[in-house]
Amino acid sequence: MDATTTRGATPPQRIADPAGTVLAGHGLTKTYGPTVALAGVDLAVRRGESVAVMGTSGSGKTTLLHCLAGILTPDSGSVTLYDDDGAVAVHALSAGGRAELRRSRYGFVFQQGLLLPELTAAENVALPLMLGGVDRREAQAQAIRWLEWLGLAGMTDRRPSQLSGGQQQRVAVARAQVAGPPVVFADEPTGALDSATSEETMSALLAATTGRGGTLVLVTHDESVAARCHRVVRLHDGQIVHDATTGEVAR
Amino acid sequence: MTARLTLLLLRREAREDRAVLVLPVAAFAVVTALALTVFGGAAFFFSIEGEIGLLYQGLAILAVTLLVIPLLTLCGAAARLSARRRDRRLSTLSLLGASGRTVTVMTLIEATLLALAGTLLGVLGHLALTPVVGLVPFHGGPIGAGNVVLGVPGMLACVAGFVVLAAVSALVGLRRVVVSPLGVRTRQQAGSTSWLRAVGFVLAVCAGLVMGQTMRADQGTLVLAAGVVITFGLTMAVLNLVGPLVLRIQGRIHLSRAGGPRSAERVLAARTVLDAPKGTWRQVGGVAMTSFAAVFAGVGLSFTELAGGTAMSAEDRMLFEDIRTGVILTLVISFVTVAASVAVNQAADVLDRRDLFAALDRMGMPLGRVDGARTRAVMGPLVTVALWSAGSAAILILPMTAVGTLTSPTTVLTVVAGLAGGILLVRLAMLATRPVLAKVMAGPVPAS
Repeated sequence: MDATTTRGATPPQRIADPAGTVLAGHGLTKTYGPTVALAGVDLAVRRGESVAVMGTSGSGKTTLLHCLAGILTPDSGSVTLYDDDGAVAVHALSAGGRAELRRSRYGFVFQQGLLLPELTAAENVALPLMLGGVDRREAQAQAIRWLEWLGLAGMTDRRPSQLSGGQQQRVAVARAQVAGPPVVFADEPTGALDSATSEETMSALLAATTGRGGTLVLVTHDESVAARCHRVVRLHDGQIVHDATTGEVAR
Repeated sequence: MTARLTLLLLRREAREDRAVLVLPVAAFAVVTALALTVFGGAAFFFSIEGEIGLLYQGLAILAVTLLVIPLLTLCGAAARLSARRRDRRLSTLSLLGASGRTVTVMTLIEATLLALAGTLLGVLGHLALTPVVGLVPFHGGPIGAGNVVLGVPGMLACVAGFVVLAAVSALVGLRRVVVSPLGVRTRQQAGSTSWLRAVGFVLAVCAGLVMGQTMRADQGTLVLAAGVVITFGLTMAVLNLVGPLVLRIQGRIHLSRAGGPRSAERVLAARTVLDAPKGTWRQVGGVAMTSFAAVFAGVGLSFTELAGGTAMSAEDRMLFEDIRTGVILTLVISFVTVAASVAVNQAADVLDRRDLFAALDRMGMPLGRVDGARTRAVMGPLVTVALWSAGSAAILILPMTAVGTLTSPTTVLTVVAGLAGGILLVRLAMLATRPVLAKVMAGPVPAS
């Protein structure tokens, strides 16, 4: 996290102390017609950890992320979220239950930011809180605190089209974190950015998640982005072929 | 070569997403079918002879004038529908080095082909509608299917008119692609509405007052008829000038008041209107003049009934019934056109922003709440426009409205029911696009 993003702003509250497993997928399989996207994947993610999922196109990395996030249900296997309220069997939830889980317990950052173009930066960030029933003023206040913390003070009333790509991604990071989810999923969050902006966005993403005790699961093609995570998991033909901490990867 | 490339790209895109072809063609088909039916119906009144025939013809022209704006709006929506997708494709070609001439020719070919296919289907739609429309009673009996069919020259003129409008609309939109190929990919500033509109509004009202003062009953039928047409024209101009401004002010009020458990939808709906007040007006403004005129006509008819009572001659009674049918029919067609325009625009918006809607689903935003936000963004302005226009007309002739409602409530209530039915129709059009939204939000997640 660079100095400018934290100066003069109150850091939002800490989520939890890093300890234990927060998310676990066991024996996950998923097929699309004849294509096997996941072939019995086991993955446990620890609280406070950042995990980069890598692989070539079609290796199953986005499918894995979507199964863990409750966007897709696996054909077989289980996904369990362990948080302060106990264990949640994500794979067994109804579509509505999974939507509720995604809204309340997960945060998402997408490649293109995918902010609502009609809303201001602050309104985009406040949206998940307002959806969860938080009073609009309180939601906006929290959103502004997050944006200021991420170095976007003075830009809270700007619309996405008035922000650069990197600034838009920081708004997306703030939106993913504003409701204080234990896990944030990011799908190629730096895929549309140049290397300098990519580094800046990763700093913001890591500071906002693992920097505060949260957990980050990230899909990327970029080795330099993956190298900044605690752990790198590589998929090939729907199976994990490599799983190591970045220190081990370097060795 | 250019034509072949255009067709190839269009075919490839349509293979991935059938809506690329289906939506603009369907929109042109609907607008053509409606326009031909309106013009065909109006042409029927020109077969009525005598002094009463002149009156029928004047009223038919008035009804067509009222319906032209909503029909043109729907045509514009159809043209923009194909333009948005084309802009993206052509801006990419422009970036790759395609010349301005190539892009222009490709635009013309594609816009013309889609509009032509749609309008030709619309002609078939018009022919299919005529047996039903022919049952509407006018001048002492059903019009008859044969009398509603617009002649071949009229049909050709309509088809040519819509195709030319589509081509011109595409060319105007194209300037952005050629001048700034990157520009169309980026949503620019929020749409603005100049306060000069308020000045225009004041000037138009002054012009109307001056005209009202200078016109006298002894100036002859032609002058009076011209006066009526100019008055309607001025009223339309005033409504179009001030409409977007009113919607912007309403949007700001809604935004400042958006709170409570539905604050997310309310903020999003208000911002959608504020983002493009002119676009919102284009979508719903068509009902403004119709609602305004319908209340005037409804109250006028109540008075006529009151004045005539049982002593009304058979011919006067028939004319009275026909005017009432005409008022309701104009109101209904106006709302059908607006409903079609809303359905086309909403379906296109959902498909154009499918990534965003899918992202909202992944973030856990329920379909009902996304749908709620866009419904508010359309129905709020529509109800405002319809009620304000009808209310303004009622207030302008307040004593007559009150007396008319008390002494002959049927006619006034019929107009009110027509307004309510129209609003319900637009709501149904919104509901019809909900499956498109549901499909996009629950769309397949690409594997990687």
